[in-house]
This record gives sequence, C-alpha cells and structure tokens, in this order.
Amino acid sequence: MIRFSGRFRSAFIIGIQGIRARKTRTLLSMVSLFLGVLAVVIVQAGASIAERAQLANLELAVGLDGTKTMGLGGASPQVGPIILDTVKGRQDAMALVGMQAIIGEPGVRPVNPDAAPFDGSWGHSAPMVCDAVGNCREQTAQESGPEGQAIEVRLTAVTGDVRKFRPYRPVSGRWLDFTTMPALAPSLVLNKEAAKGFTTHRVPAEMRVAGASANLTPRFVGVVDDGDSRPRAYVRVDELSHWVPTTKLIDPSFGEVQVLLDAETPVEQVLASKLKAVNVETYTELINSRKDQEKELAMLRMIFLAMAGLVLLIGVAGILNVGLATVGERVEEFALRRAVGTPRALLAGIVLAETLITGMLTAALAIGASVGGLKLLVTLFGDSEPFLQGLAFPWDAGVAGIIAGLIAGILGGIVPALRAAGIPIATVMRA
Amino acid sequence: MTALIQLSGITKVLKGQQQPRTILDGVNLDVHAGESIAIVGRSGSGKSTLLSVLGLFDRPDHGSYTLSGDDISRLPERRAAKLRSSHFGFVFQRFFLLKHLTAAQNVAMALVNGQGWLPRRQRRAKVMAALDEVGIAHLAKNRPTRMSGGEQQRVAIARALVRQPRILLADEPTGALDTETGTLVIDALSAVTDRGCALILVTHDRDHAARMGRVMHLDAGVLTEQAGAPAGQGGRR
Repeated sequence: MIRFSGRFRSAFIIGIQGIRARKTRTLLSMVSLFLGVLAVVIVQAGASIAERAQLANLELAVGLDGTKTMGLGGASPQVGPIILDTVKGRQDAMALVGMQAIIGEPGVRPVNPDAAPFDGSWGHSAPMVCDAVGNCREQTAQESGPEGQAIEVRLTAVTGDVRKFRPYRPVSGRWLDFTTMPALAPSLVLNKEAAKGFTTHRVPAEMRVAGASANLTPRFVGVVDDGDSRPRAYVRVDELSHWVPTTKLIDPSFGEVQVLLDAETPVEQVLASKLKAVNVETYTELINSRKDQEKELAMLRMIFLAMAGLVLLIGVAGILNVGLATVGERVEEFALRRAVGTPRALLAGIVLAETLITGMLTAALAIGASVGGLKLLVTLFGDSEPFLQGLAFPWDAGVAGIIAGLIAGILGGIVPALRAAGIPIATVMRA
Repeated sequence: MTALIQLSGITKVLKGQQQPRTILDGVNLDVHAGESIAIVGRSGSGKSTLLSVLGLFDRPDHGSYTLSGDDISRLPERRAAKLRSSHFGFVFQRFFLLKHLTAAQNVAMALVNGQGWLPRRQRRAKVMAALDEVGIAHLAKNRPTRMSGGEQQRVAIARALVRQPRILLADEPTGALDTETGTLVIDALSAVTDRGCALILVTHDRDHAARMGRVMHLDAGVLTEQAGAPAGQGGRR
C-alpha cells in the first residue's frame, strides 16, 4: 500500500510538472477534448432536461407518477351522489368530470366547434351531435345555427384542488378556492388555449352547459398551463351543481368521469364497493409515466450519446496525438528516469497521470461551461419557456462529463504510456 | 575482503546485425567499496557497454555479476530498477537535466522515482545536502538554462549522489567541459570515495584517469589492468 501510495504520488507530482512544462501542448489537447466532453455533457443534460420536460407535460395530462386513476364502466343515476359523497372534502381522492360548455352568445355556432384549438389546426368541421346510444354525426347548418360570438370549451368540474395530482403551472390570476362557500356565479380557471380564445374573441359572459337549469354567468379568475392544446376551463363541482343536478353532472353517459387517488388511499376500495352495488364497474390504473417513457427516452439518449461519443473520440485522437508527440520528445527524460530507478510501471503512470489530469481538468471546464450556459439560458429565456423555470443542472450530466474526461484521459494516454514504459535506458548511454 | 562488485567472464554480443559482434569478451573485474577505477579505451571498445552492464541497464550474455555477494546477472527489470535506485548513481557526458525544472527539482528526480516515498521536508533536506556536497547549494532554484556547463554537471552529480549510492558510474563526465571545469568535476566525483562509495569512471582523458586508484584498459572487449598506472589521489587500491 505504501509502495502504491508512493508511486501514485510520484506519478501525480511528475505529471503536474510535465503539464506545467508543456502548457501550450496541454492547452491544445484540451481544446479538442473540451468539445468532446462538452458534447457528452450537453447531450446528457439535454436528455435529462428533455425527459423532465416530456414527463412534466405527461404529468399535466395524466397525473404525477404514483397517482391512481379510476375509470367507470356502466351508468347509473346514483354514480354522481356516490362519488361526491365519498370524495367530498378529501385530499387523497378527487373526482374530475368533463363536459362541453359554450360561453358567449346564445343560439349561435361557436367559433371553435367541438372545443377545437383556435389556430384552425383541427380544420373547420361542423359540431358533432350524439344520440342516447352514442351514435354521433355532424350537425347540419340549420341545427348548429349561424356562427356567432361564442367559444366552446371543455369544462372540467373538480371536487378539490386537483393540482396535487396534476401540477398545472400557474400563468396568471389564481386557482379555484375551495375554502369559500360555493358561489352561484361559478369561478372558472382557463387553460392557456382558452385564454387565447377569450383574448381574441370578445364574447358575452353567458355559459351554457348541457343539463343546466339556466345559463350561467361565469367569472374568470385565473389562467393555468395544463398542457392541453384544446381550450379548457376548470370549475368547482359544487358551484356547477347549483345549476346542474348531481345525477346529471356526474354521469358517465354524459361526460368523462375520472377519480384521481393517492396510491395508498382506502377510498379506492370504498368507492369501488359502493359503485359495484349499483352495477357500475371500476377500473384503476397506476400512473407510471417515467417507466412508460423509459424505453423511448433511453433509445433517444443512446442515439445522442453515440453522436457525442464520436465527438469525444476526436478529442481522444487529439490527446493521443499530442501524447505520442510528447513522449517522442521526452525519450531522454524517460530513459534517464529509468536509469535513476523509476520502474516502467511508474513511467507509464506518469504519462497516464498527465492525460488523466488533462482529461479531468477539461471535464471540469466543460461542466463549468455547461452550468454557466444553462444559467444564462434560464436567465434569458426562463420567462418565455416555462419548463426552464427553476431548472437546475442535472447531476447525471456532471457525472457523465467526469466519466467522459476519465475515459478520454485513459484512451488518449494508454498508447503513449506504453511507449514511454518501453523506452530503453541505453538511450542515455548512446546520446 | 569481499568485493562490492565482482564481474566474472562477462560477455556481451551485439546481435541483430549481419554478423554478431562481441563487445565484451570475458571481462573480469573486482570493485571494492571506496575504490576509484578509470576505464579507458578507444571509441567503440565497449566502455559504455561495460558501464551499461555494471549499471544494470543491460544484461550480460554470459558470465556472472555479483553485487555484495548476490548474483544479479539475470535480475528481473523490477528488481533491477530497485537496485539502480538504492545502490547506483549515474553521471553522463550530457547532463540530462530537465530544462523546465530547477536544479533542486532535477536532483529530487532521483528521490521521486517510485522507490519509497519521502515527505517533502526530508526530500528537500537531502536535495540541499547533495547540492551542498558539490558546492552549488546557492543555485538550487536556478533552472539549467541559466547555468554553466560545469554547474549543470555538478547538478547531475548531486542527482547521482542524493540517494547516497554505493557505486557511482560516470560515463565521460568531462567530455563536454573545458579542462579547468573538468578538473573541478573530477574533484567532486573523487570526493565520494572518501565516504566509501566506489567510483567507476569511463574517460578518454589520461590526466583524469591518472587520478583514479586503478586504470583499466578496454580493447576489443577485453579488459586489462594498465601496467604501471600510478596510484591516484582519490580512492584506495
């Protein structure tokens, strides 16, 4: 151990001396290696950030990993009251009910039938109408009425603060307040697409919801980013229930009904039992987006890492080239070192120490540059790109950079090291 | 008294050419502690090869080489390196100082060689003692480019002495120096015999050879003691 320690220290000291003696060469080999390590760090960081962004969008759409979603199979007038009674006031279970709503002039065709995005990417089709058994068809022009100042949105009524399961990002205003008494004029939180529509089109504050006893007067209280490209609005179930009977509000045959649950909540079993009693089957799914995406992301990451590896190889070739040239120049030094008792292994260690130190220094610089670059990116574009907000440098990219530096140091140094170890001592005698 | 070094029937043949050439032909040599020996001979007579064999740079093809009674004729490289570090010091015609290191760092090179580890303070003390021994302690922080040839060779001698070797091998150490400086270098080399270190000097200079205890003549690979050589000033016979 002592011998190893002595050799390690000797290699380190002599390696540092060698680097200091050949600063320009070291710098030149660092330049190409820097680009290679930087490529690895950027790819790794990019992949981590992309993974995070992709998962963040999935979290908005389907929920955080570990959340359970309960769907319903079958219909019964008792479904609404059962679900509302069971999840009321609970934080570990919430119900979401999706339906169509039109806000604006009555008796006109909305500017975006079927709650289509406002950019026209869905084309301009006529609104759909479905009968009781689920057969749907496009409405005729007479049925849908003339186009007027109205906007159709997907309305999601929620029983509690659903952001615990789906972390909608606030854009402006506030989220729904569940601590107050339910108001007769329901508060609405719009998603970004809906907000865009209401900014572009001036419409009267009159909302029509299927099954409501009267038209409602909504109040827009905030805007969130929910990752949905369709215009959507969120409302408290209890505020909507002033106008829509619970039996109609939460009815799988009229709209989407979904219950979000904590993984370990007892509500799942209770609710499933209650619904089974009224002949409504439930099916629960555990959200694990990370695992689902893993394969796809791993493939993507491998492709980019392979590209970065190629760039790194160029860096390795640079360090190898400089290393070989340096050993060629230092033949007498290495022969002399052997003459004074330096073992071959230590000579190889000296050369490897130099390339490893160079590799690690370069890796540190590349990681530093990446951290700085990311900070600059967040500072410059953090406001316009929400996924950049609060973004920190992923540690695995730093580790990848260090490993890349180590590999480059070893690959670039191994051949010069072997060559240095093989220099005959007689070189100094014949000089 | 047991010889420090005992060469017996050492033969070295240079192969790889059209016809093998015998460089050393049955060389016998006993070297005692504190003894100084000059080896003289024409260029190509095998002086440097003999020094290579003595310094464990090269192995003899035949014959035996004992050091303090141990046969080291067929030593593996790892053990040879250890022995070179602990028993031998080398001085060459060219000084082989590293330009990017100071005189002290050049001397320390022999201590930072993977054969044991000395703390910085002890290392520095040994380096300064070696530089002081050859009279250039004041140049410790100078780089070789700012030194004269004589000073550089004395740094090389300090490097050879810093591990306090038992045998000092010098291959034409004054070849690149003027007469006066060469004499100073030989003075520094000869002084090591006073503390029991054996000195083997390969030289073309008759005056320097004459200062050694014995003068050996190498001709066509055959080593003979030069008859009537005067007892030198440095070292004992």
